[in-house]
Amino acid sequence: MTAEAFFLPAAAGARYCVFHPAAGACRGALLYVHPFAEEMHKSRRMAALAARALAASGIAVLQIDLHGCGDSSGEFADARWDAWKEDLAAGLAWLRERTGMAPGLWGLRLGALLALDYARGASEAPRRLLLWQPVLNGATFLTQFLRLRLAAAMLDGDTGRGGVAALRGALQAGETLEVAGYTLTPALAADLDGLDGAAPVRAGVPVHWFEVVADAQRLVPPAAATQSAHWRLQGTALQLQLVPGPSFWNTQEIAESAGLVAATVAACAEDGDAA
Amino acid sequence: MQLEEKALAFRCGEDHLYGVLSAPPCPAARGVLIVVGGPQYRAGSHRQFTLLARSLAAAGTPAMRFDYRGMGDSEGAPRDFTAVGDDLAAAIDHFFAVQPGLREVVLWGLCDAASAILFYAGADHRVAGIALLNPWARTEEGLARATLKHYYGRRLLAPEFWAKLARGRFDVAGSARSAWRMLAAAAGSPAPAASSLSERMREGLARFDGKVLLMLSGADLTAREFAGLAAGSPEWQDLLGAPRVTRQQLAGADHTCSRRVWQDQVAEWTSAWLRAW
Repeated sequence: MTAEAFFLPAAAGARYCVFHPAAGACRGALLYVHPFAEEMHKSRRMAALAARALAASGIAVLQIDLHGCGDSSGEFADARWDAWKEDLAAGLAWLRERTGMAPGLWGLRLGALLALDYARGASEAPRRLLLWQPVLNGATFLTQFLRLRLAAAMLDGDTGRGGVAALRGALQAGETLEVAGYTLTPALAADLDGLDGAAPVRAGVPVHWFEVVADAQRLVPPAAATQSAHWRLQGTALQLQLVPGPSFWNTQEIAESAGLVAATVAACAEDGDAA
Repeated sequence: MQLEEKALAFRCGEDHLYGVLSAPPCPAARGVLIVVGGPQYRAGSHRQFTLLARSLAAAGTPAMRFDYRGMGDSEGAPRDFTAVGDDLAAAIDHFFAVQPGLREVVLWGLCDAASAILFYAGADHRVAGIALLNPWARTEEGLARATLKHYYGRRLLAPEFWAKLARGRFDVAGSARSAWRMLAAAAGSPAPAASSLSERMREGLARFDGKVLLMLSGADLTAREFAGLAAGSPEWQDLLGAPRVTRQQLAGADHTCSRRVWQDQVAEWTSAWLRAW
């Protein structure tokens, strides 16, 4: 089946979408939530590969570019966390209408955190959550993003004086920063800083968590082990699966992980009514 | 300004390719096809191609960008920039199909997309101009020389630089090893040999008879290397010295022009050049 690309009308313009119809009878539907900034670009090929494989297995997939990202309307400087959640609501509504299925959310990195956060407050719970290498702490993630600016400054011969703390201070004082070519506003930085991925998962929503590791001998990363145990204790039906492969969202060259694609398709095939 | 964007899908052989057209309300007859190089898809590093397309369209030029087979949203197996002629031809065909009034195209590319454009442009009469930003003409020797001269030369011996990188958890040992390899490469080849890549690029430029815009970043090894290659060859100097070639130098800018002021400058130069002929 050929994917359909279109612009979905939304607040302040339109969102670029790619819809992958299910081959044969549709068994479920997923909305893909992309990661942040350059990670979205590096992982575009993997998202397309997995979306096509899911569609071939009977799971319809909608990819949506969030406001200010990819081919969607707006500047990155216009982006806000709550507006991104509205984009997810619009994407889910479209998917529900088109497929007649209750859609789930499939998120990569910060996209997984957005999916978790959206699910907590949504009027209608997503059918399930597929998390690829989820970011669980917004403040830590912001720190890592700001380090890109420090690294660039140092390569430029700058001292990088004050480090991340100085950059956070500038943001808190209302300054907009350019980080790795992206215009980071104080508003979006504050949004990210306040995110707590460890909060309870929306009740009744099953979670399939894929953690990418360098090789098959690796143990579950401690943070993932702690968090998944915590959520299970709170009653979430959660599967945590380690998949050896490249960190395709931040490799210099475009990387693919056939193992992660296969594991994701298999996870959706396992339970009967799938996504 | 009412700019319309259209999601595109078209065939290249058995595969579907995906792209976006940014169409102005009163489109010029000359459109720009943004060719995407390096490990990027059609939005470009830090969305530079999305923003460039919108900027060009705001100035009246229809702009299209797309993913090669195997990149971004497009189907098919990945391929490198030396094997994308069919993808470019299919994209240009589709550009003419979806943009009424289009008479000719300019191919715009960064890095190895600029090299791919040089290979392709002379063979397609619809291509009236080419805009090249930091063309990729990498050879081991040229890279080593450019790196030593323009980068490590300033900092390799500054201990505080390495200490700072170490605190930022950079791979200092790996960087030192790669610097050492570059020293060895530069020392081992007193005169850089012309590579088949740069020869093919030069032949492509000679074969193409349209307008050329060459933009080089001031703080980019790829640009330095291309400039060095051109300066060291009478044939390149003849080609680049011709009146049909417009050259621009972007002081301080990195390879992808990652600051907004640099991106805006590149878009302005492109629009001004498009208006000038």
